Amino acid sequence: MIESGTFLDGRAPRNRFTHSALFSAASLSVIASALIIYTLASGTIRFFEYEEATFFEFISGTDWVPNGRNPSFGIWPLLSGTALIAVGSLMISIPLGVAAALHLGEFASPRSRRFLKPIVEVLSGIPSVVHGFFALLVISPFMQRTIDATYFNAASAIIVVAAMILPIIVSISDDAIRAVPREIKEAALGLGATRWEMATKVVLPSARSGIVAAVLLALARAVGETMAVTMAAGSVAALHFDPRLEVQTLTAYIAQVATGDIPPGPATDAGFAVGSALFVLTYSVNILAVGATRKRLGANRGKMASLLFQIKVKLSMILERISGDIEYNLTQSNPFIPTKYDLFRRRKEKVSRFIVASSLFVGLAFLLILLQTILETGLAGIDLQFLTNFPSYRADQAGIGPTIWGSLWLITLTMLFALPAGVGAAVYLTELAPEGVLNQFLRRTLQNLAAVPSIIFGLVGLYVFSRMFGFGLSLLTGSLTLAMMVLPMIVVTTEEALLAVPKSFRDAALGVGATRWQAVRHHVLPNAVPGIATGAILSVARALGETAPILFVASLFSKTAPTGIMDGFLALPIQIFFWTRHPKEAFHDLAASTILVLLMLLLILNFIAIFIRNRAEARRSW
Amino acid sequence: MVMSTENNTISVKDLTIKYAEKEAIISVNLDIQESGVTAFIGPSGCGKSTLLRAFNRMNDEIPTCSMIGEIEWRGKNLLSDEIDPVLLRRAVSMVFQKPNVFPTSIYENVAFGLRIQGIKHKSKLDEIIEESLRDAFLWDEVKERLEDDAYSLSGGQQQRLCIARALATKPSILLMDEPTSALDPIATAKIEELIQALREKVTVVIVTHSMSQAARISDQTVFLYMGELIEAGETKKIFSEPEKELTGQYITGRFG
Repeated sequence: MIESGTFLDGRAPRNRFTHSALFSAASLSVIASALIIYTLASGTIRFFEYEEATFFEFISGTDWVPNGRNPSFGIWPLLSGTALIAVGSLMISIPLGVAAALHLGEFASPRSRRFLKPIVEVLSGIPSVVHGFFALLVISPFMQRTIDATYFNAASAIIVVAAMILPIIVSISDDAIRAVPREIKEAALGLGATRWEMATKVVLPSARSGIVAAVLLALARAVGETMAVTMAAGSVAALHFDPRLEVQTLTAYIAQVATGDIPPGPATDAGFAVGSALFVLTYSVNILAVGATRKRLGANRGKMASLLFQIKVKLSMILERISGDIEYNLTQSNPFIPTKYDLFRRRKEKVSRFIVASSLFVGLAFLLILLQTILETGLAGIDLQFLTNFPSYRADQAGIGPTIWGSLWLITLTMLFALPAGVGAAVYLTELAPEGVLNQFLRRTLQNLAAVPSIIFGLVGLYVFSRMFGFGLSLLTGSLTLAMMVLPMIVVTTEEALLAVPKSFRDAALGVGATRWQAVRHHVLPNAVPGIATGAILSVARALGETAPILFVASLFSKTAPTGIMDGFLALPIQIFFWTRHPKEAFHDLAASTILVLLMLLLILNFIAIFIRNRAEARRSW
Repeated sequence: MVMSTENNTISVKDLTIKYAEKEAIISVNLDIQESGVTAFIGPSGCGKSTLLRAFNRMNDEIPTCSMIGEIEWRGKNLLSDEIDPVLLRRAVSMVFQKPNVFPTSIYENVAFGLRIQGIKHKSKLDEIIEESLRDAFLWDEVKERLEDDAYSLSGGQQQRLCIARALATKPSILLMDEPTSALDPIATAKIEELIQALREKVTVVIVTHSMSQAARISDQTVFLYMGELIEAGETKKIFSEPEKELTGQYITGRFG
């Protein structure tokens, strides 16, 4: 029975509780960021407390020799290695990626788009440790034969990193290209532009801020990429730009610390200083990318543009003088007879569009060769014994039984932590406090968290969860680390799912006196479940394939599966990493078999996600 | 309606246009005089824009759209495969519903149609651009700031820029798809005035939602309803003594 005056009571106490619970979930990103900064800062300070390390040498030195009697910590060799890999891979992936996006957005028929877009999606779903396997065992031998490269070389890493960042460039550029208003594309066609002219002279310039953002995000990813680079480019920090030789990147050094190849002392703590440098670098690139996305059409003009205009005018006047005056008769040209120039335009149209279309087939070819190699080397090794035995040191008896269990434990625990936190944060940010300075701050924090290179999470896991909290090298440490990493992804996908629920549902509930939380709880969340589930499954896939964050904490050998959250654990990607680097070739086959198992699991997860999405779309009545 | 196929007419013959299976234009026969201003009127969804977009093959850009029939002009069927729409659109240019300037300078907007034809000479470009902007009544307002962003112009100015851009390629026919529907009354008046001045240089075919606009600016009026041509003829006659009852009902505001 409702008593009169109830409406004067203010918010119900239960609501206040949920409100603060959701707010806490949203603040977790701030805590995670604080932990990252704390880990990096304290580790860096520890590093500079050693006699061997000085700040000046660190930022200006050109020798990186962490071991030995006279260690030297000059970061430039690591920076040059990082730059070589990043710039090299961008040089491949920018032209390919923009061309592919242009083809998908402007030239491909809807049918071929449906066929081509999944290539990009599959490529983006391949874990970096798999790319590392491919780089070291397939591309590197090829490089050794053709360009006289060493066993570990930058070139192989550049190629796989290019393949990894290609999907970023394609999908973000594609979004930018598709956001170009139809009206201005029609304007170009209506003036007699060919589709190619429309695409290059109108669409690309209009989409340029999006494309710049895509390139910057790809750059941040390339700089932060760890596993493939560690596996293929080697561990010799040397200041050179020769792709045929071994280089070490910032991330690869941290990974080297993680894998225990570095003795304790300044060399290990140097990993934190390098982590700080990496963090600052990727953070800056990310800030630039966000700035580029914000820039609107036609912005950034003004003095600079007018100056450029003056220069252009001068240039064309000079050109005119050189080339002499070609008489051009424009008085009502014949619409039926092409001029010489029109014939040239037709040829240009055909050739350019062919080139642009073929860019996607480069991606497809890469994917097919990768899958074929792995099937060829790995399929034969998969049998019941392989799936159940422990990873023995004798290749013919080795299996991945405890490893599979380790990975399953890991992703289950990760989701147990990350899913409620992520969904709660998303509900708070989109439904309960969708505006204000605090909201903006939390969003910015999440965005930045999403851009932190995965190996840095590894440092946090090691330093905070494992040592400070005393969780040790356990499942708990591993899953907390991974949960931090997938949190932004879950928040973003949940927000999308919530925003897809029509506003009228909320209004209807609020209109009959529901509180905001009641409206969300009973009318928004139930309708957003398929979207949230899809996002969650994709996050599971991400956590399953990630190597770098758990590189510090996962075990390399165990005879048994974990039985509780404080146990040590094996994980599929770590197993792949370990076996790929094994000197004996028999273990490479085992790595390939493990990759196949991992890819199968990822495939199943993706199918489930697609199934849920499709079923929800079919059932949706709004 | 004059049923002749002389050189100075554009003849639409038994034209049917479909989006997938849906017919948007149903066996339309029509002669348009190649001089003066012709207006297409009719209620929303009657197919007037679809018909307009057939003349420079803009319908080709919509994947589901198919056209059956002929549009004869200067001895050619504009819908046949041998016609290259890219070349055709220079001679049959188009101005759209919303001002759709490119995100670049005023100068480059007008230069676009010329540059893609390979005209690179600054002096030639300057000459044509000035002429086009004068023809579009825009020169005096922008001559001091040609390198400014086209988005810095008002809506009406942007639409006149679009007209200047379309005029730069020296078209014979200018198609206008509700060019004033996004503009305020003052900007609309200016465009209408401009259309009156353009009739000397170019044949104008305009789609309009406003009957009074059709009455003010056109010589010929074509009334379409549910994809069919109901009546076509001299504007004065259509508005004073329409032959069909439906036409009368529409122009008196009974529906639409």
